[in-house]
Amino acid sequence: MSITEKILCSKSHEYLLKNDDDTYTIGLTDYAVEQLGDIVFLELPEVGVDFKKNETFATVESVKAASEIYMPVSGKIIEINEALVDAPETLNEDVYENGWLVKIEATGDASEQNDLLEYEDYKEELE
Amino acid sequence: MTKETYLHDKHVELGARMVDFAGWHMPVQYTSIIDEHKTVRENVGLFDVSHMGEVFVSGKESLDFLQKIVPQDISKLTYEKAVYCQLPNKKGGLIDDLIIYKLGINYYLVICNAARIDEDLNWMVRNKKGLDVKIDNQSHNYSLLAVQGPKADALLRKMGLDTQQESFTIKPAQICGRKMLVSRTGYTGEDGYELLVENEFSEELWDKVLEYGKEFGIKPIGLGARDTLRLEAALHLYGNDLDENTTPIEAGLSWSVPKDKKEDYNGKEVIMNQIANGTDKKLIGLKMLDKSIARHEYEVYKAGEKVGVITSGGVSPVLNTNIALAYVKNDKNICNGSVVQVMIREKLHDAEVVKRPFIDKRNKIKI
Repeated sequence: MSITEKILCSKSHEYLLKNDDDTYTIGLTDYAVEQLGDIVFLELPEVGVDFKKNETFATVESVKAASEIYMPVSGKIIEINEALVDAPETLNEDVYENGWLVKIEATGDASEQNDLLEYEDYKEELE
Repeated sequence: MTKETYLHDKHVELGARMVDFAGWHMPVQYTSIIDEHKTVRENVGLFDVSHMGEVFVSGKESLDFLQKIVPQDISKLTYEKAVYCQLPNKKGGLIDDLIIYKLGINYYLVICNAARIDEDLNWMVRNKKGLDVKIDNQSHNYSLLAVQGPKADALLRKMGLDTQQESFTIKPAQICGRKMLVSRTGYTGEDGYELLVENEFSEELWDKVLEYGKEFGIKPIGLGARDTLRLEAALHLYGNDLDENTTPIEAGLSWSVPKDKKEDYNGKEVIMNQIANGTDKKLIGLKMLDKSIARHEYEVYKAGEKVGVITSGGVSPVLNTNIALAYVKNDKNICNGSVVQVMIREKLHDAEVVKRPFIDKRNKIKI
């Protein structure tokens, strides 16, 4: 099963991936990164901080502009991708394996995922 | 309605990301802004800047007219030379910044910013009252292609350009058998040319420059890299760094304003007073001391007090650091090599006041 079959995407272009240990990984979709262009700066939250669904938890900057990144579901940050902060351009090559942003423990209700789309539907919505 | 240049379909064919800019549907990037930026610094790049305005000024009193509307001394502008000018209002604030070329006796070309053509024309018409001057907006009939970078000259020679031109000169010339006006100017800090050609030849010229340019490593360059290139060279962008509330002296353009021009011009009193007595605000260059990026309208602080605002900011692909232009209080303790702070997402980030331009310009060609 390819990774795009396992993720859910928000309309604001974040993806949510459920891990084997029931934590979640959050990142930006390949479409979002392509639209942003050259990524040059990334600001991630600290581990341990709680965010509600749709709250801004990180900022990504391309050459052109700064963009806020929103929580696709509520959760507590348990890990951040520190290597990506040092080399944000990695995002332009790969948004999953090396380009993920944070890992969280979900703190909200499962219904929070109702408005997230499967990758194929997300792609269709964009067209 | 959004306007399209004659090269619009070329950009789309090349896979450019198109954006609305000053009422025009323009390419912001073809591949990557950083890659396009480096191409212009190292080799040569091709830009479509046909959205810019071309206004021809002619008539017996065209010199009197131009002397009245710009602080620069147009009587000293000789045949085929260009001069960087501003268009001040009565208070010295800038309606636009311009390049004026002398094409002949009582015959001038004014290049203005796309977003300001209407304002410029209105202002010019208001100022020509009683003068024997013809103001002819030809923006819709011409395309403007910029060929910029250290290899621009070699490329155009290969295409048959046979004029010998210093920087800031314009000459009628032939490239690939087509007549056009060739100006050794640009907006990148590099050597380069701008080619003013009738619309019907623009697609052919675009294709030929890319074809001949292959061996020089040419790439088409979008407005994204045009912005990062001009910022490294600390060239002002109208709407960001210049506006109707900012005088050329405040903007650090004193070098372009003669102190001894006899004729009166709009805003002269304010401008001359500022030359003599200084200004309240001043344009400075900033280099961020961490990886954060200062952007347009972010606030600047010193010792906890707000002292100014960023007007342009972004990355410098050549210096591999982040740079900005800001207006701050004209105070030695702020403007002279000090460290200030920029408020970015509610946190203060240190930035060092540095000299402008941020890079050494390489566009001063003498022959």
